[in-house]
Amino acid sequence: MISTTRYPASDIAREFGKLWAFLRRDALIAWSYRRGAVSELVGLLGQAGIFYFFSFLVDPARMPTLGGTRAGYLAFVIVGLMVATFYQTGVGRMMGAVRQEQLTGTFEALLITPTALTTLQLGLVIYALIHIPVRALLFLGLAVGLFGIDLHWAGMGAAFLVILALLPFIWGVAAALTAVVVTYRQATQLIAIANFALVMGSGTYFPLSLFPRWVSAAARLNPLALALDGVRGVLIGGERWYTIVPEIRLILIISLFVWVFGVLAFRMALERERRAGTLGLY
Amino acid sequence: MAGADPGGCPAIEVSSVSRRFGSTVALENVSVHVAQGEIHALLGPNGAGKTTLLRILSGLTIPTRGSARVLGRDTARRTSEGRHLVGVIPSGDRTFYQRLSGIENLLFFARLYGLGYQEALRRAGDTMASVGLNGVEGLVVGKYSQGMQKRLAIARALLIDPRVLLVDEATHNLDPEGARRVRELIRAAADRGAGVLWATQRIEEIRGFAETVTMLHHGVVRFSGTPAQLVSMTAPKSFLIRVGNGRPSGDRVNALKLALGALGAIEPERSNDGEHYTLTIADGATLGEAISAIVNADIQILACHETRPEIEEAFISLTRETLV
Repeated sequence: MISTTRYPASDIAREFGKLWAFLRRDALIAWSYRRGAVSELVGLLGQAGIFYFFSFLVDPARMPTLGGTRAGYLAFVIVGLMVATFYQTGVGRMMGAVRQEQLTGTFEALLITPTALTTLQLGLVIYALIHIPVRALLFLGLAVGLFGIDLHWAGMGAAFLVILALLPFIWGVAAALTAVVVTYRQATQLIAIANFALVMGSGTYFPLSLFPRWVSAAARLNPLALALDGVRGVLIGGERWYTIVPEIRLILIISLFVWVFGVLAFRMALERERRAGTLGLY
Repeated sequence: MAGADPGGCPAIEVSSVSRRFGSTVALENVSVHVAQGEIHALLGPNGAGKTTLLRILSGLTIPTRGSARVLGRDTARRTSEGRHLVGVIPSGDRTFYQRLSGIENLLFFARLYGLGYQEALRRAGDTMASVGLNGVEGLVVGKYSQGMQKRLAIARALLIDPRVLLVDEATHNLDPEGARRVRELIRAAADRGAGVLWATQRIEEIRGFAETVTMLHHGVVRFSGTPAQLVSMTAPKSFLIRVGNGRPSGDRVNALKLALGALGAIEPERSNDGEHYTLTIADGATLGEAISAIVNADIQILACHETRPEIEEAFISLTRETLV
């Protein structure tokens, strides 16, 4: 006789347990690629090294003033790299997660389990959400140690809040781009170009004042640019946390809008694939 | 054993389902009914539409027309309700995380089916043992053979003690012993009350295993009934006979042809050893009449058997146009 009773834990607790399963799975897979993770970090530090020498060529007078002090180029770009890498890796991992599942043939195996779509989306990226901030912090610590940058570590809590506010934006962008990948498959290059434009236009590598006026105007509504501004303000300029509250608020509003759009786009893409019968194709 | 539907709810109910991919018709007006505790074979050659039907029942594809229900729930609706009662064994070989061990893969999927950690771990170990994968639990799946990965897929489907099993070419990569073991596992699940839809192109699997069969060809149902009824669709026509009496070969052929008359045709077997002949019975004639005619002509028949199993004969006759 087959038991027809549902499992005793509540639905929410069960879905939470599934997130742990995703986390454990991805941690184990990441551990199997541990040498790759180390070389990735070394590559990022190498990139910072290039900017270290590049900083000698930059006219300090062209750099913005943060919290009453003029920012040094190296500190400016290192913090920029940390936030932009956080964004890029976040979007890349989230987007890549579905693509990877499609390529390995496990995507359909996940979809036929009794897992809510929201749990599935979060589960696919939960490891990245935890791993990427840790990695960004590690990068910042190593860069500061190697290149002797002066940062206001007291602003780390406020910087963390800014990053936290950026998470729905990253999730939303990733979900929307995943919808594009699920639908068009070969859109990876196009997405990379769009992402690069977003990162460049946010002032990651150079102050926005050097760009055409329309770029800095667009950056006022770009959560990544707002986040960079906020994090640089507290870590380089030593600004107090309450001075960046307006930026956090704006990031949150735009992020939530993008998140809703992305999640809906992802659902619609899956529905479209089910109707077309091409969900498992890659 | 096919039983009544507990609570009046069939395990699977497919009603007039059609599915098109552009101008290609994958399924046309297909209806299938599987009771709980019943093994229903979905038979057909490559491209018949078996996998499409299983994908519809798994909720991965939506029918263009008609409805598909599993345990009373419409599969076109993307809801997780009832999914914890459905086990799926896909046809693909790579549906696992290749860098994780077998037990870690099962543990992960068991958690997604809603089992707690300890229960998931216990079930993962038990099901791996039940499919003969004990001893390789800790080995990464990338090092498993195709057959081992198929068995792991079966273990995954059995993790939840399912009420419905959707099985796509489960024995495709398995040796005869492995295939027999898989059928036993599926049989045991059916005996516990699960309704099983078993898609296969291997007709020899059906006899003595499935209670009912639907045969698909080019997306259309060609037959629906029991394996016995499938066999009765086409009586076997071709037999291999071995004759005695020591006459010279040429004389014997002529003697056999003369004896048979309009009852059938006879030709020496390819080996042309003078003893073995292929006997083809004419329409309207029976094997008994042909044998009697030969024996009455004073030719001994030492052995006689079908050149193809009768169930295979039925399969071929129903799908003949693809073989021409």
